[in-house]
Amino acid sequence: MTDPANAIRFILNDAEIALDTLPATQTLLDFLRLDRRLRGTKEGCAEGDCGACTVLVGRLTEAGLVYEPVNACIRFTGSLNATHVVTIEHLSVPNGPLHPVQQAMVDHHGSQCGFCTPGFVMALYALWMGTPQPSRTEVEKALQGNLCRCTGYAPIIRAAQAVAGEPGADPLVAHRQAMADRLAGLRNTDRIEVGSGKDRVIVPASVDDLADAYAENPGATIVAGATDVGLWVTKFMRDIGPLIFVSHLPELHRVSDADGVVTLGAAVSYREAEAALVARIPALSGLWNRIGGEQVRAMGTVGGNIANGSPIGDTPPPLIALGATVTLRRGQERRTLPLEDFFIAYGKQDRQQGEFVESVAVPHLPTGEHLGCYKIAKRREEDISSLLGAFRVKVEAGTVTSARIAFGGMAATPKRAKAVEAALVGQPWSEATVLAALPAFAEDFQPITDMRASAAYRLLVAQNLLRRFFAETQGRAERLVRQVA
Amino acid sequence: MDVSLKMDEPVAESLLDTTNQNIVSQPVDRVEGPLKVSGTARYSAEYKFPGLLHGVLVSAPMGKGRILKIDAGSIEKLPGIVTVITDYDTFLRNPAQGQDEEAPEQGVRDVSYFGQPVALVVGESFEAARHGAQRIALDMRPDEGRFDFAARKHMAEPKKRSRKAQGDLDAALAAAHATIDAIWTTPSQTSAAMEPHAGIAVWEDNKLTLYGSYQMLASDRLQLADALGLKPEQVRIVARYVGGGFGGKLGISAESVAAAVAAMRLNRPVRVVMTRQQVTEATVRRSNTEQRIRLGADAEGRLTAVAHETITANLDRSSFSEPASASTQFLYGGQARLFLNSIVRMDQLLSASMRAPGEAVGMLALECAMDELAETLGMDPVALRLRNIPARHPMDGLPFSSRSLAECLEIGARDFGWSDRDPRPAQRREGDWWIGVGMAAAARSNMLIKSSARVMLAPDGTAVVETDLTDIGTGSYTILAQITAELLGLPVSSVEVRLGDTDFPPSSGSGGSFGAASAGSSVYLACESLRQEIAEKLGIAPKDLVLTEGMARHGNVSRPLHEILSGPLTAIGTIEPGEMEEKFVQAGFGAHFCEVGVNAHSGEVRVRRMESTFAAGRILNEKTATSQCLGGMVFGIGAALTEDLMHDPRNGAIVNHDLAEYHVPVNADIPALKVRFLEERDEKANPLFAKGIGELGISGAGAAVANAIYNACGVRVRDYPITLDKLIEKLPPA
Ligand SMILES: Cc1cc2nc3c(=O)[nH]c(=O)nc-3n(C[C@H](O)[C@H](O)[C@H](O)COP(=O)(O)OP(=O)(O)OC[C@H]3O[C@@H](n4cnc5c(N)ncnc54)[C@H](O)[C@@H]3O)c2cc1C
Ligand code: FES
Ligand code: FES
Repeated sequence: MTDPANAIRFILNDAEIALDTLPATQTLLDFLRLDRRLRGTKEGCAEGDCGACTVLVGRLTEAGLVYEPVNACIRFTGSLNATHVVTIEHLSVPNGPLHPVQQAMVDHHGSQCGFCTPGFVMALYALWMGTPQPSRTEVEKALQGNLCRCTGYAPIIRAAQAVAGEPGADPLVAHRQAMADRLAGLRNTDRIEVGSGKDRVIVPASVDDLADAYAENPGATIVAGATDVGLWVTKFMRDIGPLIFVSHLPELHRVSDADGVVTLGAAVSYREAEAALVARIPALSGLWNRIGGEQVRAMGTVGGNIANGSPIGDTPPPLIALGATVTLRRGQERRTLPLEDFFIAYGKQDRQQGEFVESVAVPHLPTGEHLGCYKIAKRREEDISSLLGAFRVKVEAGTVTSARIAFGGMAATPKRAKAVEAALVGQPWSEATVLAALPAFAEDFQPITDMRASAAYRLLVAQNLLRRFFAETQGRAERLVRQVA
Repeated sequence: MDVSLKMDEPVAESLLDTTNQNIVSQPVDRVEGPLKVSGTARYSAEYKFPGLLHGVLVSAPMGKGRILKIDAGSIEKLPGIVTVITDYDTFLRNPAQGQDEEAPEQGVRDVSYFGQPVALVVGESFEAARHGAQRIALDMRPDEGRFDFAARKHMAEPKKRSRKAQGDLDAALAAAHATIDAIWTTPSQTSAAMEPHAGIAVWEDNKLTLYGSYQMLASDRLQLADALGLKPEQVRIVARYVGGGFGGKLGISAESVAAAVAAMRLNRPVRVVMTRQQVTEATVRRSNTEQRIRLGADAEGRLTAVAHETITANLDRSSFSEPASASTQFLYGGQARLFLNSIVRMDQLLSASMRAPGEAVGMLALECAMDELAETLGMDPVALRLRNIPARHPMDGLPFSSRSLAECLEIGARDFGWSDRDPRPAQRREGDWWIGVGMAAAARSNMLIKSSARVMLAPDGTAVVETDLTDIGTGSYTILAQITAELLGLPVSSVEVRLGDTDFPPSSGSGGSFGAASAGSSVYLACESLRQEIAEKLGIAPKDLVLTEGMARHGNVSRPLHEILSGPLTAIGTIEPGEMEEKFVQAGFGAHFCEVGVNAHSGEVRVRRMESTFAAGRILNEKTATSQCLGGMVFGIGAALTEDLMHDPRNGAIVNHDLAEYHVPVNADIPALKVRFLEERDEKANPLFAKGIGELGISGAGAAVANAIYNACGVRVRDYPITLDKLIEKLPPA
């Protein structure tokens, strides 16, 4: 008998699932395809890159039940408690009428070999539910996380803009409240712990319980959106149990904006952060749209990006430039430190055993200050940065009175360009000052050559970005507008 | 009735021009579309079998050496492990090349490239097998390998029969008014079809059925039978839906042989799915190339010399070499000519055919060389090409079966607004971006491959088509249904097309853009024969017969099929290439026009728009043909800008063996693309008057991008892909 209190319980399409045993690192995709034999959801890469495995996951938020596209291949089954998993099989019955999104894909020839298609359909379904008449830009954004090798994308984009019908009649939308009530009943009030030893899933009941659970299991891996951790399992086959999931905790999803500071709970996803943070600091919007694809932005968290400590994580440089702080917690103890001090060396952060990231606080950009943030990558979307530069200057009466500049991809950690800052402060904000500051980059950074870019490229482009930033503050730079069909 | 046609003569008249059902050429929706959008199309790894076992391939973690021992004991006690299958002699060293009739090289004790599959761990569950494959202990002796192309290329050996020469090249170059002599390099590439290679092998009553993901089942079956020591009749391959191929699935590969050996030994069905990393490391790649192009022209821009020499890499004893000069040989004139391919032996993944083998990378070099020549001559690049369209094949003097290259260039230039171009580079600046335009021609040989199909017409006005052709996304299901519907006067919905099963008549398979035209012609012939039979029953001449809406009509008489047919009628049609391909040069042609922006600060390149015009005989279905071309153009953009399979020079391992780091274009890389087809009919090609379309789009597309980059910012990069770091240092001052 399944012990209902101590099982991972969720709804898969129409069926209620309760798992009191499961491999801790089982992915949702393997659960669907191998256990449930739901083979509509495809596996093209098993690491979040192709989107063939896209399903929707509905979860309760303060604003009610929200459906988001996620990569089933890197989402752990154990993280699904109190969610509604919707797969392609839920959209239409065999030989029955197609869902309007599916019909549009047929009508516009959005499917060739068809292997990417269920993933595209699910990504478009998520888009259509919220935005039934999307602009081309909205479609492009919604499809960033899906690769197709056959169609050249144009037919899919056309399909996306031609979906007929009103989402109001769609079962997920029509029954949202009933489903929300069902899910509320599945929420855990006590800690769920399934499995034993390293092969164990821990779903804490609250942040306090998380603190306890982590203190009891300091060797456990905390999993937020799993967009990094998922790959440790599927790609690097690392043994990382037990797993402590945190993304279901409402407290960690809180976003507050008070006293000139936006505070993000550790489990706030990119998507959730967008509303508060990007609205407040518009200079971040270009970057935000280029982190992963829609699926990764729905799953991945700012907290995870920081905790992961990668030198090429996209959020630390701008957050450092903005003077963000991070709050760490162990048991009942908390400490807050400037984000730049959190990154000590490659793969090493200032985080003690049993300590987890609880929140990140980002001060607003004071009026009158300039912020520029540039991600340079080989591919337009869905690519890890070759380098990323964030520039912030305060110019008073024509003179730079303060500067905070931080880079990713230029050193073993996200790092400030202090020599460059020093070369700017106290000088007039002019082309001459900028040119004079360029040699300082070589003092701040000795980048490496790797697959993404050469050391020389990085150093040169870092300098060019400062020039570009200057041009932008003078109102000269423009974005490239592509021809839209 | 069995009917066959060898293309020894032009076909005087195509029924497609007289049946007037208006079904062929129409943009009919993909017939299997509903299955694909609902996730119910069944791909090979998705069949259910009781007792199914899961196999995971063990990859050799060294680039060269010998396997001394695979210690099955090291994992056999792990939960869920059934056994470890080792068969050093039978496992494939590398996949087969397309159309081969024998097994590729077998034997895996000696490791020839990094990631070569050497064993199969079989488990009751996929997780168990994967766990075992990761844990298994390999005792190996690594050897010195050959991994550095640059250091070895001087040892390249000419490929047999690849040298073609005419006239005195050196003299022609010396006498030329303008010359180009430069080297272009292209990196290794991978097909990156979205569906990984996967198969299920079932061994029953001394017969093997493989549910595999392959493109050319008739030859795949021969290869698989040969590899396993079975008779072809003992092997059946089923591939109803294939999640993309692009050349990567032409010949059988490691997963299917391993699955078959396991199934035969264990007497249980075995499923093997490659990981994305294994697909990249252990199937096939397009070889990197080094191409030297020499062009000479007189003061009027008439070519006098054309040389295209290519060095590629391959494993020992593999003779394939990317035929980069394939289209160079006939696209433009010029009396003195030289073409040659050489192969460097490397201990790296097999090189084989990837989409448009030859043109895909050869045109990246040729069409940029033409752009450079135009600049040297002070000529417009379109005009230079128009001037050099040869009346006949420049070497063997054969006429072209049909060719609308000039029209493609002219109409394409007009529609694009080419005349607005400033030929001087780095003249147009919009904010951060240098803007430029470029163009290139497209050409891809047309082929016909022997192909058979069976068509059954039932009295109730439904028809069934059967052939072992695959639909790898190209639209085969739809096109064959359209041809049948057109010729038998039925609605498309009354035609059932059954594909992808070697129990059906053997076809050309899907590859080299010949699937639709070859298999389509066989269906045409079968339908033509059925029409004759009906005409005979009515006692009229076939040309007087009108079939429409399930009725047979002649004069004023109209009768439903069920009154005429007492039972189903069946015919098998077979098309074969013949003298037409020896007497005529057959190719599709086109022209690409492209506009790009190059970021002045970072060197990032964005394609802003691309418009391409093609002529490839009759277009059988505008929707599927457009899709094919768009997909090809995107391959071209990827080749120009992002795709670069990198080998570790220490062990040949592929560093970017996943979709995160091997950059196929994402939707935002792709601007609004426009495709236009010109009316054309090619009666020498086949009874459909159609030519291949699947690979034409890629040919030249990347060169148009590269030429646009030069026009935008004045930097020529001859080392593909043109990534930001190769541009940055040479950009004009920001
Ligand atoms: C396809 C794809 C594209 C991507 N694109 C980008 C990109 O463009 N830019 C970019 O920067 N990154 C990118 N990433 C990486 C990843 O999405 C980000 O790093 C993301 O922010 C990680 O957040 P997460 O919640 O998924 O973290 P997880 O994977 O859950 O965790 C990451 C790390 O943080 C730890 N951790 C998580 N939460 C806490 C906590 N509260 N306390 C302590 N430790 C914690 C985990 O233990 C782990 O070490 C991409 C990933 C994928 C799969
Ligand atoms: S399988 Fe590719 S993203 Fe999940
Ligand atoms: S249709 Fe084949 S990958 Fe998209």
